[in-house]
Amino acid sequence: MEKFLGIFNRFGSLLLSGLGYTMFITIVAIVIGFFLGFLLAVLKIYGRGVLKWLAIAYIELIRGTPMIVQLFIIYYGLSQTGLVRLTPLQAAIIGMGLNSAAYQAEYFRSAFLAIPTGQSEAALSLGMSRAQLILNILLPQLLRIVLPSWTNELVALIQYSSIAMVVTIMELTAVAKYIGSKTFLYMQSFIIVGIIYLALSFIFTRLMVYFEHRLSIPGISVTKARV
Amino acid sequence: MKEVLRVVDLKKSYHKNEVLKGVSFSVDEGETKVIIGPSGGGKSTLLYCINMLQRPDSGEVYLDGEEITKGKVRVNEARQKIGFVFQHFNLFLHLNALDNVRVGPLKVRKMSLDEATQTAVAALKLVGISEDLWSHYPAQLSGGQQQRIAIARAIAMNPRIILFDEPTSALDVELIGEVLKAMKDLAYGGMTMLVVTHELEFAMEVANEIMFLENGVIIEKGPPREVIMNPKSERIKRFLGRIHKEES
Repeated sequence: MEKFLGIFNRFGSLLLSGLGYTMFITIVAIVIGFFLGFLLAVLKIYGRGVLKWLAIAYIELIRGTPMIVQLFIIYYGLSQTGLVRLTPLQAAIIGMGLNSAAYQAEYFRSAFLAIPTGQSEAALSLGMSRAQLILNILLPQLLRIVLPSWTNELVALIQYSSIAMVVTIMELTAVAKYIGSKTFLYMQSFIIVGIIYLALSFIFTRLMVYFEHRLSIPGISVTKARV
Repeated sequence: MKEVLRVVDLKKSYHKNEVLKGVSFSVDEGETKVIIGPSGGGKSTLLYCINMLQRPDSGEVYLDGEEITKGKVRVNEARQKIGFVFQHFNLFLHLNALDNVRVGPLKVRKMSLDEATQTAVAALKLVGISEDLWSHYPAQLSGGQQQRIAIARAIAMNPRIILFDEPTSALDVELIGEVLKAMKDLAYGGMTMLVVTHELEFAMEVANEIMFLENGVIIEKGPPREVIMNPKSERIKRFLGRIHKEES
């Protein structure tokens, strides 16, 4: 116990900044992934020709390769070409955002398909354009359906943000490794950050479940809306 | 009477199955025409082709004399003038009763919120949905209430004609009456209507003409009394016999 407290005393601020990086990367990445993922899903379902094909190819490419490889390509690979030089933080955020987009696109796509087609027909029969249909009718329902998958993605992304250490970012896991190397208290420092990850995941999961209930459509139970 | 809808030689196939084999008819302003016929005969497809939810393979549809089947026509604008009531209501599940009816005037007709609300309230009252139900969501309403709200949703767009696709087929027997009453009120109020239904009493009471559609063609049409009481073709007799048997 003394050893744990010792770590907190000596490295408290470092742990705090590691937590900051972890949260920042996770949240920015999931927001990038949200918008890009939504666009990809729309293209995959409603797109024609090249656009549809590109969306499918992108999703398959990202989901078919490890995130760590993608990060290496974006950070080391791109800078080697001399075209773009990203900072480690930019590389991590962009890499994880692009990665999350592919997964979120699939969540969105299955949520789109879960909405009964009759509602789309009804909206079109009122004279709505496709954009109006998506904005006024599909999106509000889509977001509710996608919430549980989105919770999964958020929790997964919190853990995956640890991969950002390979592009030299001092997020939580990197901090733990550093503390371990300074103090040889590897076990204690990794247990500490493990508990922090666990707490983060727990808090976010509870928060999302709260939103799920808060936003549920009257008369339709949350569990039913998941179908 | 002014002609609202004219359908000319409409054809539609799915794969190699020809569902509509050249259907022609017209509906004048204020008329109610009823289409009957066995399932799979092309009744729903016909309605879906009229408002372009399905693209017909050939043939023309005219609304107020203007062809809407031409490639260049803005389909969205034509659809604003053609109301559609679905068999399964298809209400927007995330919107309450009032918003289901209000969303069209508000978003499509671009009315102000006040104007859209007034329009929606008038339509809801017309179909007998009382104020205490306006804040209810579809999943909290009975089928009969949902279908009447769906009718109000169509009315609120102030369409030239409303198409009904078996509006009572998905309802429990005890809920059919309230929906038919709303439709009768609408018809007597002067709305132009094209109704696919098996409700023969309704047809007898309000239809100006009944059309019998089977295997993608209109086999017989005429005043309801003639077609139902005194059909010329054997097929209609058999069809009507089956319906009577189901009802008793």
